[in-house]
Formats: sequence, C-alpha cells, structure tokens
Amino acid sequence: MTRRTSLTPYLFLTPALLVIAVFTLYPIISVVYYSFTDYSIVTPPEWIGLRNYQQLMKDPVFWLALKHSFTYLLVTPTLIILCMILAIVVNRKLPGINLFRALYYIPVICGTIAVGIAWRMMLDTNGALNGLLLSMGILKEPVQWLAEPSYTLTIVMMLTIWLGLGYYMMIFLAGLQNIPEELYDAALIDGCNSWQKHWYVSVPGLRPQITFVAVISSLAALQVFNEVYILTGELGGILNSAVTIVFYMWRQAFRLHHAGMGSAVAMVLLIITLAFSIMNIRMLERGTEAQ
Amino acid sequence: MRTKMFALFVLASILLSSCATATPSTQPETIIETVVVESTKLVEVEKTVPVEIEVLVTPTPGPNPEVVIEGVEPGAEITLWTFWLSPTFDEYIKSTIARFEETYPGVKVNWEDHQATFQDDLRNAFAAGNAPDVINLSVGEGWVSDYATQGLLLNLDDAVPQNVKDLYYPGLWQSQMVDGKNYQFPWYQGVAVELINTQLYQGTPEIDAEGKITGYAGGAGLKVEDFPKTVDGLPDLCKTIKEKTGTLCDIRLTVNDLLSQMVYEGNVKVMSDDGKQFTFDSPEAVEWLQMYVDMVKDGTVDKTVLVTTNDRVGLDLFTSGQAAFYQTGPNLIREVRANNPALYGYLAAVPAPVGKSGVLGKGLMGISVKGDTSYPNASIALAQFFTNPKSMLDFSKIVAIYPSTPASYEDPFFSTPSVAIEDSAKPIAKDIVSKYADIVPTIPNKADVNQIVLDAVQQALFNNVPAQQALSDAVAQANALLGQ
Repeated sequence: MTRRTSLTPYLFLTPALLVIAVFTLYPIISVVYYSFTDYSIVTPPEWIGLRNYQQLMKDPVFWLALKHSFTYLLVTPTLIILCMILAIVVNRKLPGINLFRALYYIPVICGTIAVGIAWRMMLDTNGALNGLLLSMGILKEPVQWLAEPSYTLTIVMMLTIWLGLGYYMMIFLAGLQNIPEELYDAALIDGCNSWQKHWYVSVPGLRPQITFVAVISSLAALQVFNEVYILTGELGGILNSAVTIVFYMWRQAFRLHHAGMGSAVAMVLLIITLAFSIMNIRMLERGTEAQ
Repeated sequence: MRTKMFALFVLASILLSSCATATPSTQPETIIETVVVESTKLVEVEKTVPVEIEVLVTPTPGPNPEVVIEGVEPGAEITLWTFWLSPTFDEYIKSTIARFEETYPGVKVNWEDHQATFQDDLRNAFAAGNAPDVINLSVGEGWVSDYATQGLLLNLDDAVPQNVKDLYYPGLWQSQMVDGKNYQFPWYQGVAVELINTQLYQGTPEIDAEGKITGYAGGAGLKVEDFPKTVDGLPDLCKTIKEKTGTLCDIRLTVNDLLSQMVYEGNVKVMSDDGKQFTFDSPEAVEWLQMYVDMVKDGTVDKTVLVTTNDRVGLDLFTSGQAAFYQTGPNLIREVRANNPALYGYLAAVPAPVGKSGVLGKGLMGISVKGDTSYPNASIALAQFFTNPKSMLDFSKIVAIYPSTPASYEDPFFSTPSVAIEDSAKPIAKDIVSKYADIVPTIPNKADVNQIVLDAVQQALFNNVPAQQALSDAVAQANALLGQ
C-alpha cells in the first residue's frame, strides 16, 4: 500500500516528464554535443573539441552581434516607461477609452511578419516616411533608411518597441486597476500633485509588473530575430549593422551550414539568458519581499 | 448475252460479298459460304483488302522514343520536389508525371512543390533521411554544387548513357561540375533580358494631330536600342537616368554567389590553376568592384536592391514603376503584368549587357537525383523525362522558358514570330542558350568564402575601404580557410 502511494505521484508526472524530456531536454543535450562538432545538418557530426568556441572568440562579427544584442536591451527600459505612461493615460473613465485600449493592442495580434513588411514598405525609398518628410520640407531627397548602417539597429529596435507597446501596456493597466483608490486619495490629502501622485503611488504599486515586464522583455530582446530578418533580409543589415546574436546563430547554422558553430553560439546565448534569468528572479524575489 | 449474264453474276457476287465484309462477325456464316461457291477467288480478294487495311491503320505498340533509361526498377515509388512551380504549373507537372507513369509502367511518382523554405526543407529532409529521390535544384544559385560536394547527389556522368547525354547542350550538361563530374540534368533555362520602363527610360510619347510621334517628354530621353551592350556601360547610363528622372538604378549584385559575378562580369580569375589559393584581388577584380563603388558614391543605384539576397526586391521596385530598367528573365514579365498592368503597356526588352568574360551566362535550373536513392534508375528516368525534348517544348509553350535540348528548338513554335513581350527572346534563345557555359571553378568552402567576399564588397561599397585593400584582406581570409 505504501509502495503504491509512493509511486502514484510519479505516474502522474510521467507524461509531462516525457514531453519535457523529448522536446526540451533532448534538444538541449544535443545542442551541447553539436557545439563540439563539425556538423552541417545534412552530414553526420564530427567531433572537433573546442574549435567552434575558439573560432567564435576570433570572429569580430560575433562580438559585434553580442554588442548589438546588449544594445537591444535598451528596448526594456524604453518599453517600461512608455507602457506605464500609456497605461496611466488609458486608465481613465472616458467615453470611447476601450477603443483606444484596443487600438494600442492591435500590433500585438498582427504578428511580427505582417507588421515588419508594413514597416519595410513605409521605410522604402519611395515609402510613406520619405513622402511625409519630403512634403514637409525636412528632407531634400529621399533617404534609404534600411540601407544606412547607422540607422538600421535603431529602426529594428523601434519596431520591437512598437510591437510590444500594447501587450505590456495591458499588464501595467491591470496592475494600476489593482492599486486601491484610497492610496491616491491619501496622496492628494498629503499635497501630491498629479505627477507626484503617480511617482509615489503608481510606480511603487506597479513594482511586480515592472519586474515581470523587465524579465520578459529583456529575454525577448536578447532573442530577437524576426524583426531583423524581415527588415534586413538575410543580410542582417549593410555591414552587419543589425546582426544580433540569434541572427548570427541562424546565419551560421542555416546560411553557412555550420550547425556545430551555430550550436556553440546557442550555448553562449544560453549562458547569457540563464544569467539574466537568475538576476531577474532575484529582482522579483526582492520586489516581493519589499511588498 | 452470256457476257451480260456473267457480268451481272459478278456484280451480284461483289454486292453480296461486300455486304458480308461489312457485317459484324456475328452474322450467320451461311451467307458467305453461299456466295463463295463460284467466285472464291474474287470474294477472297474483296475480303482480304479490308483485312489488310485494318492491319495497316491499327497502331502497333513499338518502342516509345521517350524511354531512354533501362533497368527501371519495377514497383518503384519515388518522390519529386520542385521549386516554386505550384500552383501556376500544376497542370503541366501533373500531366508530365502521368505521361511518365504511362511511359515507364509500374513507377509511381509523388510530387511536392516547395517554395521560400525549399532549401531549409531539403536540408532537414536530408538530415532526417527522407530526402526526395528527384530534386529540382538551381544551377544559377550554385545549389547543385553545394549538395554534390557533400556527397548527397548521384553522379550522372557515370550513370547516364552517352546517347542520353547527347540530348543536351554540352555547355549545360557540364554546368556545375564537381571534381569533373556532372550531377544534374539541365532543365529549363532563362535568357537574361533588360526590361525597360519606356516611360522613364525614354519618356512619354508626344503625338501630333496626324498620330505621329514627334518626341518624348518626362523621361531620360534615351533610346531603347542604344541600351549598353556591355556591363561597363551601366555607370554612365545610371548617371544620366538619375540626372534626368531622379530615379535610381535597379541593379542587383548576386549576393549569394559574388565570385561567379566577378568571373562573368569582370573576367576575374578567382583561383590559381592548382586550386591552392584565391586570386580575386587582381587588377581585374579591383576594377570590377570599383565600378560598383563609384555607382554607390555617385548615388545612382538603389543600395537596398544592390545587396539584397532576394531578387523579388528588385523586381518589385521595377514593377512599381520606380526604376527605368531591371535585368530578369522573360518568364517574370508575368509578375509585372499581374501586379502593374498599367506598366505592362510601356515595357520594352533588350538583351542583357555582357560582361568582360564575353560568356552570355550559365545554366538556370537542373534536376538531380539523390545519391542514396533506393530506385536510382527510376529516379534518373524521371529526371531525364522532365528534361527531354518533348517535356521541355511543352513547358516552353506555357511560359517563357527555354529548353536545354537542341531538338526542342526544331519545333515551329520557336520560329513563329510573336508580338508578346514575354516572347521577345524566343527567336534568339537557341543561339544564346547553346553558348551558355559554366566558367567558374569549383570553390571549396563556397558559402564561407562567399560570406568573406560579401563582407569585403560591403566594406568597399559602404565603409570607404579601398577596393584593393578590401579584396586583398578577403583573399587572405579565404586562403586561411583553404589551409584548415
């Protein structure tokens, strides 16, 4: 009887464990193995020890990609600030406010690919942006926005921010609606103006949401690929100007057919995201303790 | 009187005997036997004639001229993958497969068309061990050599009889040779043309009261017939177009195979004869790159198109009416017609300018066979069948592509004049296709070397690195790969 009782929980866990083993554990172990091999996907892997990692360290494009990925993390604070402001703006009882909330959310349901294509058309030499700026007299001749290395990464980051606005705004909006109204009343009695009311009440009250958004958006920023691919094609921008670490990994594995090298990049990315996750979880725990 | 009676008897006999031959065999035989009594010989003649005719007009099963591969495995079930042909050409592909299955009874073909993800799908299929037996691979983009160098394709030079090889133009059969062996049946070919938007290139015609064209307004004022015959005429042309119309030239580097473009356009020798070092930093190579650097500095080319990996980006720019010309195949004129019918009426086509190598081009599409297929003969038969003169001719009749087999051009279809712009290359296609040749040597570590060259070209084009320095650095990096 005791033996049956001790086995029961494991029996319930088995299906989930099997799924995790097949779809998560096995791929991770495979990637670790492939990172030490010369592997082109179509031919069997050949063990080469640390050579992939050595070549990675010597490749300037890898370091450039790493730099771009860390630069991409600027998306996170930008999103937090913009989305909090937006959530405060739409957290009012005004006629038609639900329409505005829905409009801000539309990019989220459109999908990266569709939005990316629309942005590419907008930023085209003969696109809407140049048309607008030329008609306003700001530009004298059209700019090839996506062919200017100094603009490319910023444009890709702007696309990510625009895509994420609605989603993260909703998280902050839900957080704002959980802050008791009495706290705002007390702040007013204490003499807070409108700005101070949000600084001293809304922002501390949104701390769990801020931590959550920081965790989610920073991990997403480190893994950005779709936006880069859609806006720059398979090139990653002229002079590798928008190559991020995941894009670099894709290029190694699927364009240059070095799946072994791609796996080594994946391992580096795994270590970085693991470090970020641990750091973020600590922040989350600290936030909970503070509350 | 006796004579008359005899003649009457003969006529009656003929009448009766012809009635007998016209009747089905189920008729009572007694009638025939009754007639035969005295005029056996005569009746026999009348009876044998229709029998002989019957033998002559009935088709007799003989050797099918399309059966050229022997030893096709009975009961073979093979898979064919094509690249971006469905749904437009579903009917053609399906009918050709049906004809193949009739020609080689017992073989079953399963067809799949893959599009934008073709290369990824194929690699995954090879990795998973379920790659198709027969594969449509691009010769122009270098896919055949990519897979052949990895030992994934069947060596056709050793597997195909000489009389079958002789069906194809030698230059096309020898495209994409790997270690001196061919791995593809040459399939449909393209003839590069420059599509010209005459409204931009020439201008809108001004017509007088009598309906005569008195001049052109609004365009670059150029004459279509004066389009440069060689690639080095493009920079001046682009300057003129930019000055007169404010539009940029829609020119694309072959980003996926830059060494090839260097060879054809610049007549650059990219490797030493012994294949031990790269040599694409020669004066010819620098001159070739400098031409593009100058165009970028002059601001006369669309930079996005120049380095895109996707030829549709350039085609889209042209289709939207924002470029004066674009180099493509006549088969893609249908895209312009479908997406911008207003522009279609203002199109002109001229032969694409030739590079310093003087070679007009190389093969476009081929069909290869998987190296470890369980049914090599059936697979070779299918690949050959799709590329045989009849199949190629049928395909040419539905879209502006050109056969790789000389016999196809003997059909009047290719000598019949046509007014459609899609067919503008038809009369000259045979002459051009017959001269196609692959003059690029086999490049080891091709994808890596191409990435190195691409980085170098971008440094020169967009980062002010001198062309000579960019190419010399690239050669050093590429040579380092050879040493590994």
